[in-house]
Amino acid sequence: MHIVVLAKVVPDYEVPSVDFELVSNRAHPRYTRMIGLYDENAIEMGVQLKEKHAASLTIMSYGRKEDIQILRKSIAMGGEKLVLIQGTSDDPFVIADNLKTAIEQLGGVDLVLAGRQSADMDRGIVPGVLGEMLGSRFIPQVSAVENEDGAWKVSQVTETGLRELEFVGNGVLSITSVPENVPRIPAVRAIFAAKKKSVQTMSGRDGDESWMSEVSVEIPKMESTCEFLPVEDMNETAMTLLKRLKEERYL
Amino acid sequence: MGRVPYWNISYGIGIDLLAVPLIIIFLYGLYGHWKRIKQGKARLTFSLRNSSLKIGPVYIGALFTKGILGSRIYKKLFTGVAHGFLFWGMFLLSIGTALVFLNVLFGLPVFKGAFNRWFMSFALDAGGLAALSGTLFLLIRRLAFPPEGLVAPKARPGFVLMEVAITVIILTGFLLEALRIAHNGFDEGAFVGNWVAGLLGGGDSLSLHQIVWWGHGFVALAFIAYIPYSPLIHLVLAPINTSLAIPVPGPKMGVLDFSAFEDEEAEELPSLGVCKLTDFSRKRLLDFSSCLWCGRCHEVCPAAQTGKSLSPKGVIVTLSEYMNKDKFQDDSLLDEISANAIYSCTTCAACMEVCPVSVNQPKAIMRMRQHLLMERSEIPDIMGQAHKSLEARQHPFFGTGSGPNDWRKDMDIPSFEEGKTEYLLWIGCAITYEERTQKIARSMVNILQKAGVSFGVLEESRCTGDPAKQMGNEFLFSEIAQQNIEEFTSLGIKKIITMCPHCYNSFTRHYPPLGGLFKVVPHSVFINSLIKSGRLELRNGEQTICYHDPCYLGRRNNIFAEPRNVVASLGRLIEMPRNRENSFCCGGGGGNYWAEEEGTRINQARAKEALDTGAVKIATACPFCLLMLTDGLKKYADVEKAYDIAELVNNQLKDG
Ligand code: SF4
Ligand code: SF4
Repeated sequence: MHIVVLAKVVPDYEVPSVDFELVSNRAHPRYTRMIGLYDENAIEMGVQLKEKHAASLTIMSYGRKEDIQILRKSIAMGGEKLVLIQGTSDDPFVIADNLKTAIEQLGGVDLVLAGRQSADMDRGIVPGVLGEMLGSRFIPQVSAVENEDGAWKVSQVTETGLRELEFVGNGVLSITSVPENVPRIPAVRAIFAAKKKSVQTMSGRDGDESWMSEVSVEIPKMESTCEFLPVEDMNETAMTLLKRLKEERYL
Repeated sequence: MGRVPYWNISYGIGIDLLAVPLIIIFLYGLYGHWKRIKQGKARLTFSLRNSSLKIGPVYIGALFTKGILGSRIYKKLFTGVAHGFLFWGMFLLSIGTALVFLNVLFGLPVFKGAFNRWFMSFALDAGGLAALSGTLFLLIRRLAFPPEGLVAPKARPGFVLMEVAITVIILTGFLLEALRIAHNGFDEGAFVGNWVAGLLGGGDSLSLHQIVWWGHGFVALAFIAYIPYSPLIHLVLAPINTSLAIPVPGPKMGVLDFSAFEDEEAEELPSLGVCKLTDFSRKRLLDFSSCLWCGRCHEVCPAAQTGKSLSPKGVIVTLSEYMNKDKFQDDSLLDEISANAIYSCTTCAACMEVCPVSVNQPKAIMRMRQHLLMERSEIPDIMGQAHKSLEARQHPFFGTGSGPNDWRKDMDIPSFEEGKTEYLLWIGCAITYEERTQKIARSMVNILQKAGVSFGVLEESRCTGDPAKQMGNEFLFSEIAQQNIEEFTSLGIKKIITMCPHCYNSFTRHYPPLGGLFKVVPHSVFINSLIKSGRLELRNGEQTICYHDPCYLGRRNNIFAEPRNVVASLGRLIEMPRNRENSFCCGGGGGNYWAEEEGTRINQARAKEALDTGAVKIATACPFCLLMLTDGLKKYADVEKAYDIAELVNNQLKDG
């Protein structure tokens, strides 16, 4: 069994909104770069599957050469091989196309896991497009994967609950965060071992990005309004808070 | 008639002969301890500045004060005095017994004249009486009203037997003396012996004397031979342990060397931290063997006192039991102690401070924590998130609503410039990323500007890496520290003012071994010097202020007076019941600022103690303490009461 996990290095996803600024429609380069939030959940899930089924685990990323240092964490977490496709596009079709080529070059890949969103400015498009390009099944919002007798059993978290799905053959799954896939902290000896691992790099292809043009990018404006709730009875307060949040359509 | 050794005893020399095998048994017991202790690693020495007199590894001052005089025992008055009576009483009796042997062997004239009267009779009777009262107090306390620490999590078996044995030895000693006096007549100076002889009603039983003499001798020799196999081994181990403990406050974690991991040729990589007894140093194994199970550490531990699964005594007891069962290679140790307990330690060092035999509990706990994190990747959830943030962002404040420069918004603050600026005002993560603590930095900047101090800040605030170290990740700590050292060196920084005691502790204790040598001053000390030199003028108020000692400033670095002087120049200083070296932690140390606490919350317990003083304001000198106290106070007070001393000073600056 060969599993590929897609991981992307992105600007800090927790920059407080008061501090967030754009440069050329993208996050300011001063922000710390790190592996995407959900990508780490996907890596953790990949490592768990590797441990359970003695599978091969390749981490694949589309990005810049400087990202390698950051991506080594995925190897320290348990990835066996790191493949970087060098490129700077943030067009989901271009990224998916590059990933598809690299996956086909690897050969024999049974399952592709990706964070449910990250590489494409949190749009969550790449995994679906890639699934289509590879001719694989694509399931979004996956919280658990099992392989039983050659079939993949998948749990999908939706807004209204949990769906159990099953399929045979190759698949691309986008992974959401659940307590079971909280990314492990790499052991120190694994960090050192990861530093010594060679990385396979390949040049990415520029694709046709003309299918859609970006007119503008804006960040939400911070607004704060304050309302005090009575706290004599905490149950009552919680109920009031819930009601107010719903009234204001925050929930 | 003068005293005659072996009076009324035939073949008394038999007791001397019996002493020989029993002494061999005693020495064999000692050897057993050494055999166990030497399975630890030889101690790696690293230099920590201290001016204590030292011969080889032995600190002479500590040997006499803590080791022989048992100075820490007296921190608990009644127990201390009882222990003192017992120890010094037995000490006198042992000298007396040794003198009798010398008299028998070499004819040393100890039974003559004033020496006989005042030492051999009076002093030894007084010593016996003191030892008897001391041992009875300890025995009754242990059986009838044991303090919490003595029995939690478990009481030590073996003490009762030894205390009963001492009682028997002393009582039979007095009885022997009385029987001798009853037969030979009044013995000047032997006030107890004379009194007991009186109680015997003039009865003269030579055969009873013989029976008691042999019984007394057998029990005394058996008692001595049994010492190494009993809890009383602390008589030997405690002075050794205290004299080998580096007399610098706090656990002295040092830094780990990761070079073996870099080495491509290295065949075997060392295990990080501790998961079995043989990973500990010999000094730690000596700690575990010396522990009295007295539970003083348990009674002051903020974790143990608020219902967490950690008891420092419990940890040391488990470790010593593993030693006694020869489980040196058994790596079930961490599971036995539990990760929960290991992570509950706030590294406050209160346990070390009270331990009468200088056991370093937090170091043992931290070594196990290092293993959990660096080898097993085990860490509690919330602390794990802070750790992840440290790895990715070099600061632990995940989910913060503040950007790195928010603290200085609308302020004109100079950046540090080589050759122009004298002090780096180090901001640190706890001040940068929490809105409440940002006010400390803003106040401090104002104070420094008012006093005309040449200072500057870094372009972007950073973390010292201390939280990583406290969570157990030495590797991450040294990576962050090395980056800081490189930046400081390239900027020509030589003097640093800190507002966080954790940063101060890191800069002074953990940066030097990594090559970072800077002159570091905590803001409390700096502000105090500015006030003293008249560079700051304050409006003294009438308000009452109580001061909470941050563990890393007070107990860890002995800085008690300066912050108090600052507070005293602002209003009337009030002390909490637990203050200075006996201060109670705020609960935020050891990475536990990012913890979901079991049991009562430590910060609420401390906030209550502060409120109960009736003080109008609560001062502290640490951003973590301020955050913890502010949070703890929410349960009891509606208004803001906790402040950093920089904020208080800034508010009372004349013309401020
Ligand atoms: S350092 Fe503090 S929290 Fe840790 S065991 Fe000792 S007293 Fe308890
Ligand atoms: S570690 Fe020290 S204070 Fe704690 S039980 Fe042992 S001897 Fe007592």
